[in-house]
Amino acid sequence: MNDNIGNPAGIQRPHPPGPFGNAFYGTGSGIIRGGLGAYGERFLGSSSEFMQSNISQHLSDSQYYFQVNGQYVRNKLKVILLPFLHRGHWTRITEPVGGRLSYKPPVHDINAPDLYIPFMAFGTYVVLAGFMLGVLGRFTPEALSLQFTKGLAGWFFQILLLKGLLYSLGSGEAPLLDVVAYTGYAFTGMSVAVFARIFWNYSYYFLLPWICVCMGIFLVKTMKRVLLGGTRSYEKHTNRHHYLLLFMAAAQFPWFFWLGNVGA
Amino acid sequence: MAKEFNVPPVVFPTSSSTPAAVPHQRRATPAPSAPPFQPPRPATSTALPFMSFDIGAAPAPSSFSAPSFPSAASGSFSSFDEEPPLLEELGINTRQIWLKTTSILNPIRVNPNIHEDADLSGPFIFLMAFGLFQLLAGKFHFGIILGWVTVASLFLYVVFNMLAGRNGNLDLYRCLSLVGYCMLPMVIFSAVSLFVPHDGVVIFAMAAVFVLWSTRICTRLLVELASCGEEHRGLIAYACWLVYLLFSLLVIF
Repeated sequence: MNDNIGNPAGIQRPHPPGPFGNAFYGTGSGIIRGGLGAYGERFLGSSSEFMQSNISQHLSDSQYYFQVNGQYVRNKLKVILLPFLHRGHWTRITEPVGGRLSYKPPVHDINAPDLYIPFMAFGTYVVLAGFMLGVLGRFTPEALSLQFTKGLAGWFFQILLLKGLLYSLGSGEAPLLDVVAYTGYAFTGMSVAVFARIFWNYSYYFLLPWICVCMGIFLVKTMKRVLLGGTRSYEKHTNRHHYLLLFMAAAQFPWFFWLGNVGA
Repeated sequence: MAKEFNVPPVVFPTSSSTPAAVPHQRRATPAPSAPPFQPPRPATSTALPFMSFDIGAAPAPSSFSAPSFPSAASGSFSSFDEEPPLLEELGINTRQIWLKTTSILNPIRVNPNIHEDADLSGPFIFLMAFGLFQLLAGKFHFGIILGWVTVASLFLYVVFNMLAGRNGNLDLYRCLSLVGYCMLPMVIFSAVSLFVPHDGVVIFAMAAVFVLWSTRICTRLLVELASCGEEHRGLIAYACWLVYLLFSLLVIF
């Protein structure tokens, strides 16, 4: 009798191809389609089809970013935090799938972006910020929620910045979730810095520039490959590229300082 | 000269007569077959004649409704007798809640079969107890606990289903139920922390122990109840650890 109480929020398993003719079956897109399908009819009416196809286009392959395992996570963390020690190449491995070239999933390719690490790093950052606030004596749950919102806003701003940069350099068709992943990797370095700051306040001041430099190197190396993969004409690989990439790396500094300013 | 009016006689209806007969008798000719005024038959009513319509009428409706009332009363009485007990109707199976609670108290061996069907009444009790112990410590956190539990179980639901891929069959209800049940060590921690000074190492050590206890049980239950590969165990464990570390923040600070 107990399990008849109901499954009020149970999301249905992904449906077979509906009237839109889409054919993705993944759980991630099932959640999105199920959720959108439930609300799209109510709020958007005839434009629900348009909304669904657009949002599905951007968030369609979210399952790809979660195909990780423990070994990938460990190695990727080493690459993010100490990018100069990475001896291999930085390009993503492609494989022909159904006539189109697509990238290998993160399990098989250390250079592929994933979304597990950014989410976990963001959660770690929020929890560590809570500990930091507590050690300073300024912990209230509202302050923690404020820190959460600050982190989310900063992440969103970085996504806009990176996407704008890529667009101005001509490879604006980089997938949105890729950009979300690349900007989210910053939270790993940030978590390390806040963790060190809990124990000794001054360690923060030489750890943070180090983390910023590392993140800058990581982003530059990754974006070079993204741009190489995206640009159509080869002669645009000039000073403008380099300046904008350097600007991207330099923009990490204020962002990290703003994020790390917990409780002040 | 005096005119003689033909006044029909007024007949007070007795209980034996139907009400419809009263106007009929009034329209009748002044010479009814029976004498108009008659003392009430003693067999029908013992009341005075001029009050007979009331007394006669009063039992009549009651006699009409009386058959229905006892049957209605007895009908509702019998259905009241046949009603299931309140807790069973609400779906609160106290014996199962107790079994699940004692199974969590053992951090070494976890029996996932008991947790097969999810319910929310156990978590509700635990969360109320958690809020109560926080209240004893002077912090009013009921709304925050509710909000954080919701967000945490949503987070765990998304992460688990994304990692498990196509065969992820965790649903939000079961996720919320598991997160709530594994909150029991945090409730115990909250109770114990009332007696421990908050400035020392002791409380951090205790926090570590209880958070690891919660994490271990939550991971075991999640991995065994909802299908997920073995290689994702560490990843799920890290997500659970983050969730319970968040709640330990509420207790410590």
